[in-house]
Amino acid sequence: MAMAALRREGRRFATPLLSPNPANALRSSLVPYEEPVLSGVRCISTQVVRNRMKSVKNIQKITKAMKMVAASKLRAIQTRAENSRGLWQPFTALLGDTPSVDVKKNVIITISSDKGLCGGINSTSVKISRALHKLNSGPEKENKYVVLGEKAKAQLVRDSKKDIELIMTELQKNPLNYTQVSVIADDILKNVEFDALRIVYNKFQSVVSFLPTVSTILSPEVVEREAESGGKLGELDLYEVEGAETKGEVLQNLAEFQFSCVMFNAVLENATSEQGARMSAMDSSSRNAGDMLDRLTLTYNRTRQASITTELIEIISGASALEG
Amino acid sequence: MASNAAAPFWRSAGMTYITYSNLCANLVRNCLKEPYKTEALSREKVHYSISKWVDGKPQKPSKYSLLCLYLF
Repeated sequence: MAMAALRREGRRFATPLLSPNPANALRSSLVPYEEPVLSGVRCISTQVVRNRMKSVKNIQKITKAMKMVAASKLRAIQTRAENSRGLWQPFTALLGDTPSVDVKKNVIITISSDKGLCGGINSTSVKISRALHKLNSGPEKENKYVVLGEKAKAQLVRDSKKDIELIMTELQKNPLNYTQVSVIADDILKNVEFDALRIVYNKFQSVVSFLPTVSTILSPEVVEREAESGGKLGELDLYEVEGAETKGEVLQNLAEFQFSCVMFNAVLENATSEQGARMSAMDSSSRNAGDMLDRLTLTYNRTRQASITTELIEIISGASALEG
Repeated sequence: MASNAAAPFWRSAGMTYITYSNLCANLVRNCLKEPYKTEALSREKVHYSISKWVDGKPQKPSKYSLLCLYLF
């Protein structure tokens, strides 16, 4: 009797894992039913649990290794990202970062990663891009997406297919460098018409916090217009333009160079955030695997002890029956 | 001051300031002595794939894989 109950208990544990026919479990408790027993198994099979434990252990090993890889990559890229901040800061001091300037043609540059398993950084930047799109939409206005990275592409293709202008992927095959990013920036400048470029990326703060950030780059015409009207960029007129070039030319050169510098920083910051997010995601997943393994070990040992106890009871009661 | 005179020419050749500054940077890198030269040149590898989308459909993607850009 006790054995039947135990067998049922073992089965209850096993059913979600391998139940060939879920109705069997129900029927066996109602009517006497000979269960199909695996060969070599006398009472309760712990094979399933053991297999599960092995696979969980392997997964834990993999996630731990991925965490290590992300941690070492993070350290390398973090210093580069921090150094690259010096590139855009002078530009912001000169030309400003004014997201509130109202323009007709907006181009939203969404920066994401190519690989997954890095938490929510990609969906954050996609979400911010969509919000920007909605914020800037209106009659006579144009919003376009330029997408960097596989992950944002997969999300944006779903609902904003019509607005996508350019998609760039496989950025991180070689370590990121300025030449590469500037060539990308060049491609964007040549292929897209814009009044304002809005770069959406995750700014790296620490391993666990990333700030979704928008950097705005205005086209030289808009900068000139704003400076003349004395709006947010009114102070630009205080600077004196040297040399034979006109102010328009200087502004165009500056805007282009500003764009490539800001892009460089944005791509690096996003890559750093990606590694940081991957590190914390892998950390929590290996912790979860550990918890799961603990629970499985507990059930495994409990079942094993129960089967030993049953066997002992059987032997003792058999012996006492013989004596009596 | 040479750049002052050059600016209209590279602009009319369809270059942006980014291309121009990259060209200049590459020239400077080529002026380095070995072994710094190979090191600096191999650092600047360019690889990415780009596809233009028109009316919600991707056009033919093209790949950029250049070891050293603008070598001449």
